[in-house]
Amino acid sequence: MSSTTETSSNPAGAATGRPRSGGAEGGSARGKPGGRDLVSALPWIAPALLLILGVVLFPAGVMFYNSTRDISQSGVDKGSVGFDNYVEVFNFPYFWPIFVRTIVWVVVVVGFTVVLSLVIAQILNKAFPGRRIVRLVVIIPWAASVVMTTMVVYYGLEPYFGIINKFLVDVGLIDTPEGYGWTRNPATAFVWSIVIAIFVSLPFTTYTILAGLATVPSDTLEAAKMDGAGPARTYFTIVLPQLRGALSVAVLINIINVFNSLPILKVMTGSIPGYDADTIMTMIFKYIQNQHKVDVASALSVVAFLIVIVIVAVYVKVVKPTQEV
Amino acid sequence: MKKSHRLGALALAATATLTLASCGFGGGSGDDASGKTTLDLLVPSYSDNTQGLWEDVIDGFEKANPDIDVKLEVQSWDNLESVIATKIQGGEAPDIYNGGPFAGFAADDLLYPAEDVVSSETYSDFQDSFIKNAEVDGTAYALPLIASARALFVNNTLLQQAGVTTPPKTWDELLDAATKVSALGGGVAGYGMPLGSEEAQAEAAVWLWGGGGTFGDATEITVDDPANLPGADQIKKMIDAGATQADPGSTNRSPLMDIFIQGKIGMQVGLPPTVGQIEENNPELDYSIVPIPTADGSPFTLGVMDQLMAFKNDDDKKDAITKFFDYYYSADVYVPWVQTEGFLPVTKSGADALSGEESLKPFLDVLPDAQFYPSTNPKWSATDAAFKALFGQIQSKPAQDVLTEIQAQVDAG
Repeated sequence: MSSTTETSSNPAGAATGRPRSGGAEGGSARGKPGGRDLVSALPWIAPALLLILGVVLFPAGVMFYNSTRDISQSGVDKGSVGFDNYVEVFNFPYFWPIFVRTIVWVVVVVGFTVVLSLVIAQILNKAFPGRRIVRLVVIIPWAASVVMTTMVVYYGLEPYFGIINKFLVDVGLIDTPEGYGWTRNPATAFVWSIVIAIFVSLPFTTYTILAGLATVPSDTLEAAKMDGAGPARTYFTIVLPQLRGALSVAVLINIINVFNSLPILKVMTGSIPGYDADTIMTMIFKYIQNQHKVDVASALSVVAFLIVIVIVAVYVKVVKPTQEV
Repeated sequence: MKKSHRLGALALAATATLTLASCGFGGGSGDDASGKTTLDLLVPSYSDNTQGLWEDVIDGFEKANPDIDVKLEVQSWDNLESVIATKIQGGEAPDIYNGGPFAGFAADDLLYPAEDVVSSETYSDFQDSFIKNAEVDGTAYALPLIASARALFVNNTLLQQAGVTTPPKTWDELLDAATKVSALGGGVAGYGMPLGSEEAQAEAAVWLWGGGGTFGDATEITVDDPANLPGADQIKKMIDAGATQADPGSTNRSPLMDIFIQGKIGMQVGLPPTVGQIEENNPELDYSIVPIPTADGSPFTLGVMDQLMAFKNDDDKKDAITKFFDYYYSADVYVPWVQTEGFLPVTKSGADALSGEESLKPFLDVLPDAQFYPSTNPKWSATDAAFKALFGQIQSKPAQDVLTEIQAQVDAG
């Protein structure tokens, strides 16, 4: 499965040592690989290495460096403060609620996305008239700008003139004539943000699973049918296990994407005072944009980076996505 | 030039260009030879009209003073502060500059005191409240240029329906009127209270200062001050009585103003441009503009102003600068300038000249009582950010807690 190799190239996969052993097996030089091979390979991989160094490692290094400095509002570096910025991050009274909310955000969005995508992919895998058009329609949330999609919903939810509010008032679910301030209250704004995040994550996940479904050999399905397995049994014992590769890729990429997602929450919860609807990402943004604390924002970014690494490491360890079925 | 003739010619051309360019920067020495004084004027662009307006002023001035040359440079607001900083570092400070914060320049002893660069007639023509706002340690270092003020926009139709005959002047009357209007139902709100992040500091100032409070001064920020509590408590009273729109804590100003313009809000605080917005979008709206109600009914408004300042470059330019300012602030020149830009005049003569304008009159009336943000305080931008991020919580949290939290964030820097 090509998707499996993709996963193993991520840093966490590398940490388990899997891709290296895989590479050695595939390589022809069994005796003394080491130095000579590396030297002859260097010119070929140098551009890639430089790119990784320049766009991944260097910015990460600068971010960590900034997180240990005292940077003034206008951006002047006033020297090292050790880990004081981290102390400020963890002493912020809203840090732990924000942390928990971030985890809820990731788990709920990814969970619902995957379950819904499994259903949609199953439907799209069946032959029916107009399937091609429906498949195209599913891509739309992916093709549209996230900010645009969010703005559409945001305005729909506005009291007085929002179309969603108007609908809810007209069908009698809301009794205040101007509608309800969905985006004005932390809880409802957060829930709607989750809905939008699921909506925009569906296309990618659905297509990944659809690709997985295409690889399920029809003879296994026929065999199951011959043995008298019902549709449910066939799905859960034959199809689903074979989707493991596709699913694990979809989940992993979604976790990272959703964790790092800023625009949806920024638009939906931007006007809410206080920190009752923030995740770590919007908090980083608030540190930079409102308080001009680049140093503290960097510290929180480093913390966020570590959290993602831990989540991914745990996921890789538990699910073992790189293992063949 | 020694190397070859071709190169020499090239260098000559380059030198010529450079000389021309240096003229453009207006160092002044070249012009002095011809007996002319050059003034450099650096201004931001307020609208598409700005450049033309300044050019008209300069043409008129140069005609009256043939021995003075004025060079205009217009920059966008985004660039303005970095341009002026670069110019000062390079020893190329303009003679006259139009901008916002100036406390830093005054502290570095770069500016003429305002009184030194205008005649006493012009100086005494400024509204006192504006001159006061341009003072650092008791000396005004900048000349007020333009102002905007706020006033209460009242939807006459809704107030009549609710049985309120005169617009409110005090908080009690406002609470009473707004509660009655809210009781009309049908999605109508009595008072539009935008405490969302867009401009929370403005609505906060309207209430806290209207109750006798303050955000502090040039040296100290005092948000967590007992004087601010009455205003904050009144906000809570308004919200608890249901006299405002739903969720005031997270409602932004511009969208809420649109709702007022649609005729669904009884009263809301607005700015001079709001008049134009109503005219454009809902000319049928029957509204009036009255002073902002305060705790005891004493007049008050929240003012914002921009300034002109004169940099100390060369002492023999002082007379020329004075001539320019006196010319600029004469009512014939100044009033059309302000009017075209859509702001309020800062001079008494300008206010007189524009008092006939129906739409501006309510704002001009309250202008002498304008109070300003403590924008000369270096911590003002942190204060501004803290209000935007936190003040809306007053909807659900005790007033004192919110003020304490804002103060804490300001002090943390």
